[in-house]
Amino acid sequence: MPLVSRRSALGLGLAAAGSLALPRFAIAQADNRPSITIAVQKVSNSNTLDVLREQSNVGERVFFSSIWEGLIGRDWLGGLKKVPLLATEWKRIDAQTVELKLRQGVKFHNGEEMTAEDVVFSFSRERMFAATEAKNRSTIKAFERIPTPRPGKELPPEVPAAARRAWPDLARVEAVDKYTVRFYNATPDLTLEGRLSRYGSDIMSRKGWEDAASYLDWARKPVTTGPYKIVDFKPDTYLVLEAHDEYWGGRPPLKRIRFVEVPEVPSRINGLLSGEYQFACDIPPDQIVGIEKNAAFEVQGGTILNHRLTVFDKNHAVLANPLVRRAFTHAIDRQAIVDSLWAGRTKVPKGLQWDYYDDMFVSDWDVPKYDPALAMDLLKQAGYKGDAIPYRLLNNYYTNQVPTAQILVEMWKAVGLNVEIQTKESWTQIMERNDSRGVRDWSNSAPFNDPVSSIVAQHGPNGQQQQIGEWTNVEANQMAEIMETSIDPAQRKKAFRRMLEICEREDPAYTVLHQNATFTAKQKSIKWKTAPAFAMDFRPGNFAL
Amino acid sequence: MVYFILSRIARAVITVALVVTFAFVVLRLSGDPALMIMGPEAPPEVLAAFRSAWGLDLPIWQQYFSYFGAIAQGELGRSMRDGRPAIELVLERIPSTLALTLPALAMKVGIGLPAGIYAALHRGGPIDRLVMTLAVAGFTVPSFVLGLVLVLVFSVMLGWLPSGGQDSWRHAILPVLTLGIGGAAILARFTRSAMLEVLGQPYMRTALAKGVPWHVAIRSHALPNAAIPTVTIIGFMVGTLIAGAVVVESVFSWPGVGRLLVVAVANRDLAVVQCILLLVAATMVASNLLVDFLYGYLDPRLRTGARAGAH
Repeated sequence: MPLVSRRSALGLGLAAAGSLALPRFAIAQADNRPSITIAVQKVSNSNTLDVLREQSNVGERVFFSSIWEGLIGRDWLGGLKKVPLLATEWKRIDAQTVELKLRQGVKFHNGEEMTAEDVVFSFSRERMFAATEAKNRSTIKAFERIPTPRPGKELPPEVPAAARRAWPDLARVEAVDKYTVRFYNATPDLTLEGRLSRYGSDIMSRKGWEDAASYLDWARKPVTTGPYKIVDFKPDTYLVLEAHDEYWGGRPPLKRIRFVEVPEVPSRINGLLSGEYQFACDIPPDQIVGIEKNAAFEVQGGTILNHRLTVFDKNHAVLANPLVRRAFTHAIDRQAIVDSLWAGRTKVPKGLQWDYYDDMFVSDWDVPKYDPALAMDLLKQAGYKGDAIPYRLLNNYYTNQVPTAQILVEMWKAVGLNVEIQTKESWTQIMERNDSRGVRDWSNSAPFNDPVSSIVAQHGPNGQQQQIGEWTNVEANQMAEIMETSIDPAQRKKAFRRMLEICEREDPAYTVLHQNATFTAKQKSIKWKTAPAFAMDFRPGNFAL
Repeated sequence: MVYFILSRIARAVITVALVVTFAFVVLRLSGDPALMIMGPEAPPEVLAAFRSAWGLDLPIWQQYFSYFGAIAQGELGRSMRDGRPAIELVLERIPSTLALTLPALAMKVGIGLPAGIYAALHRGGPIDRLVMTLAVAGFTVPSFVLGLVLVLVFSVMLGWLPSGGQDSWRHAILPVLTLGIGGAAILARFTRSAMLEVLGQPYMRTALAKGVPWHVAIRSHALPNAAIPTVTIIGFMVGTLIAGAVVVESVFSWPGVGRLLVVAVANRDLAVVQCILLLVAATMVASNLLVDFLYGYLDPRLRTGARAGAH
């Protein structure tokens, strides 16, 4: 199936014919790069393309690395390590200040050059923080002026909330000169570089913001630096991107990328097989074999920065005893789940952490081993009498959620745990606080390469699990605080290890089941490599026919 | 007559109020829009900011009354997903849906009516059996199965038509066929049984005994009498023009009102759901009124009865 439609081929033909009369002009217009169509389940949940409003897996797919770029990036195809992106280098001034040198000659989609002024604006109250304050603001007088937003440019309230969550103590960003910026934090923080690489810390054109009539107008067509610019966005329908030929990283390999929303899995697969789509995303694992039976197609993909968990409510009468929760963790044959439901194409990780944590990665840690005898012994020690434990379940919110739950219940039953599935309609019902809340499903991500972005953010004192009253632990909270505030790497790593011990072994808050994965089917003739993430990389060097 | 119209309008208003209340209760009690839109991993402060901005942190009865108060003033609310007026979102989808449902309605009527009449007039013959077999098949196969089969044949195997999307008129062919086949089957079955019932009536025998030619008896006596139940079904089909393609729009990735409804319900985007429900209710009420008027036109006894009642 050709990647260029008949209409565009005709257009190219006419352009070629016209070149006889207007050679210079026509040659400049000639563009033989292919255009592709990608079928996705959803383009954007929030109907916007603002990285602070649309913080989702589907958002990550269209944003990175096509539209939005940060100062520090991730090596999408090389282990997600931090790499220079819009900043070429950075250094620590002290424990709470980072200075970055900006890449020169970077052009926004509107043709303007990126300067320190755009970076400062990207982290301003007007764009990011509104009236929110750094937690420890008293240490530095920051953001003196709280500007009144212009009519129509008010930020949706969740934007400053998300921004402050990502940058709880950022005091101010200062332009040292045209190509140098400094980030001042109100408290010492070793994770500033990680925060700079995270989803949401991306740079936008100040002029692009000012030229837009309203926040919504801007959020549907943000002016950024990525290799592709937004041409057309019809919420719930499609997003069309076009090559940004002034991209600092070289000429993009594709002329156009069209993301189309195809909510049904069979429709995505049929469209791929009929040649309408070159890529079909969000393919369930049980469809992989069927697609790959056709030699013209292959399914790529694998693990992403997200782990599936079983979460416990330690206030439940039976689960209050940590021995019972520990029995849960040892009764699960995680590899069997990976092999049977995921075709072996994901893995059981080393607890709630990811390889890309680098020095903070606790390499000798592991999930509780599958040991039914130990589980039974723990239940005996706990004096468990077979009381029913409720398991609130959503209907396949997560891939394979229901079959996983059914397998889990059988595994738990095998060691003597009486777990009863209660099917629920929504997250509100799942999280509703009452005596019948026992076990539930969840997943946790790591937005940047440090455990404060996952175990602390989700299970620490300000994390959801404690905020909804499922679990708390005094010592774990002390460890979370050390990880957030200490500037001693060794002490932080020790605190992380201890928090893992508490949350996953001694007083289980959750247990990790497996790493989540995403699968993309594509025409085999296309040379393209997937990232271990939802992000799809179509920068120079990662697409060829 | 004035009383008749007023009572109809009052009934319609009560129906719509009940529908809106039901939707409010079901949607609000079954899920928190903040969690639905922001996702289960959203930080607590982000959820709190969202709830506060949309008044979701108020007591549910207060939310209900303020919503009703707003509707009374003509304000149908805004989408919680992007803050746009719900009515705008719904209105911009209606042409897309009508682009499927109107041709499908024409197909249902164009195929279903003649097929049903023909089958009734040739009762027991091979054509009757064929038509009824096809009608039963078309009636019983769910639209999502039929849609996928059509895609498999015409898109994947033959490569003649696109499998989904809304880029050109060719993209509408398969969804229109999917909608039309099922509806035509239903209409054929109803028309056939209505015709058979009429054909067995004494007045038909009388007409034929009097020497009225067969085709004249059919045209003047059988068809008008068989039209009453058929018009009822067609009226119902007209009532589903706005939101009757939910499944088909999902299967064919067609960005119409049905898709919007699915997304809005999934996100508990109350204002959008209720706006669609109001439109659907209004369409249903309008089509029912139309059917009532057609009854009067088709059946002189109803006209006489209405006049007699008026005296």
